Amino acid sequence: MIRLDNVTKVYGADTVAVRDVSFDIAKGDFVFLVGPSGSGKSTLLRLMSRQERPERGDVWISGKNVNEMPDSRVPYLRRSMGNVFQDYKLLSNKTVFENVAFALEVIGKPRHVINQQVPAVLELVGLADKADRFPDQLSGGEQQRVSIARAFVNRPLIMLADEPTGNLDPATGEGIMQLLEAINRSGTTVVMATHDHRIVNLMRKRVIQLDRGVLVRDQERGVYE
Amino acid sequence: MLSRIAYAFRETWASFRRNLTLTAAAVLTSAVSLLLVGVTFLVQRGFDNLLVRWKGDVQLIVFMTPDATPENVAYVDGVIRSQPNVIDVAKLAYLDKPASYAEAQQLFAGDPTMLSLLTPETIPTQFKIVSLTDDSALLRSLADQYRILPKVQGVSLAEDEFEVISTLSGFVRTVTIVMSLVLLAVAVTLIWNTIRTAMFARRREIEVMKLVGATNWFIRIPFMLEGLLHGLIGGVLSCGGLWGLNRAWESGVAGFKPGTGVSSLVVPSGYVSGVMILLLAIGALAGAIGSGIAASRFLDV
Repeated sequence: MIRLDNVTKVYGADTVAVRDVSFDIAKGDFVFLVGPSGSGKSTLLRLMSRQERPERGDVWISGKNVNEMPDSRVPYLRRSMGNVFQDYKLLSNKTVFENVAFALEVIGKPRHVINQQVPAVLELVGLADKADRFPDQLSGGEQQRVSIARAFVNRPLIMLADEPTGNLDPATGEGIMQLLEAINRSGTTVVMATHDHRIVNLMRKRVIQLDRGVLVRDQERGVYE
Repeated sequence: MLSRIAYAFRETWASFRRNLTLTAAAVLTSAVSLLLVGVTFLVQRGFDNLLVRWKGDVQLIVFMTPDATPENVAYVDGVIRSQPNVIDVAKLAYLDKPASYAEAQQLFAGDPTMLSLLTPETIPTQFKIVSLTDDSALLRSLADQYRILPKVQGVSLAEDEFEVISTLSGFVRTVTIVMSLVLLAVAVTLIWNTIRTAMFARRREIEVMKLVGATNWFIRIPFMLEGLLHGLIGGVLSCGGLWGLNRAWESGVAGFKPGTGVSSLVVPSGYVSGVMILLLAIGALAGAIGSGIAASRFLDV
């Protein structure tokens, strides 16, 4: 599903964010990218969604080399993946329903599909009764659920989550992890960057550890070391 | 498809309301510059009317009386052609009554009194003479020779009527074209800047749109539509301004005495409508170009 071959990403003249990283993620996997701040976790996620291009090496998503993909195809690549962020990236002038609907609206889904899929996904994330609220009327955990609903409403093959529990207290963070695990069980491949020891140790999923841009560990059912 | 179109219009309208002051500035600048473009066209057309009888380097016009017989005309024609070393015989033209009448329609477009006096029967016919020399004294002596021929009503010399108007027309043309081009560039820049500001205000939304897989065109179109509307509304305003100016000019000219030539500066209303359509097209194009550049420039994949 996701394959990186000797990927190196350099910012500016000599800031190496990722150096010679290779790994394979199979369909339906749940993978943690771990490491301290600046170790290259977010860069790897950005390379997968073609927000960045590597200086060397190749990134393959569903059998397609995303570096060689023409710009016009990138939106279609992104429709096959959902993105979740630490700061939620919700639109404050739109309600919960509208925020989630927005993801379908801008890829041209008709209104009847939107009216069917949005309530269903809000039900899944447990926010069916808050569809008319605005983001600033919600708690951090609820906002992150909206963000996950938006990422998942189009039933993507891949979910990329960048520190989704970073701004949340432990109990709320656990709730978010349960949600991501449920999404993973439905067949979506989940790649999550985190430096939250507790969550990684609790979930016991595959762990890919980075240190200063270098892959130092790739372990099934791993823990945070 | 329908939902996409509805989305584009909804977003365009929302952005319009959000940036009201910048939008007003862009629209007004477009309107003023387009108005100047329109005025350039009308002024130019007015001068062309004045100069229409001198088109094609004509230097002398010999007017025959309306009652001149074909024999009288042939005689004068023979006299003119007898000087092939001074007259460009190949370019010698004779305007019969219908042709002279058609020319008068343009020349006296703004002078209905004069037009009502002229009929295809009462109009003087004319010889248009291109000479091979620019020697003013020689041309004047030729005019004097023609004036005494039978049934010649009068002779006009280009340099008496033409030179001042021609110089003035060239000057006005240059000044107005340069000014309208500069103002158009300012309008495009303002539209560009307005769209850039609109995109900056919605950068978070654009970021989300890109991440969920909206195509660049889908993101761009509402912004381009917005710029196009700026130009188009500016165009509509300029059309209104042009119409008002033209009306004021027409009534001003009507106050002049008939036969002073000022009436030639009035432009036919069909031409004014044509200029208005052109202004709308230029406005829309300028808006689309300004916003298109902004929307492409500030939208990386």
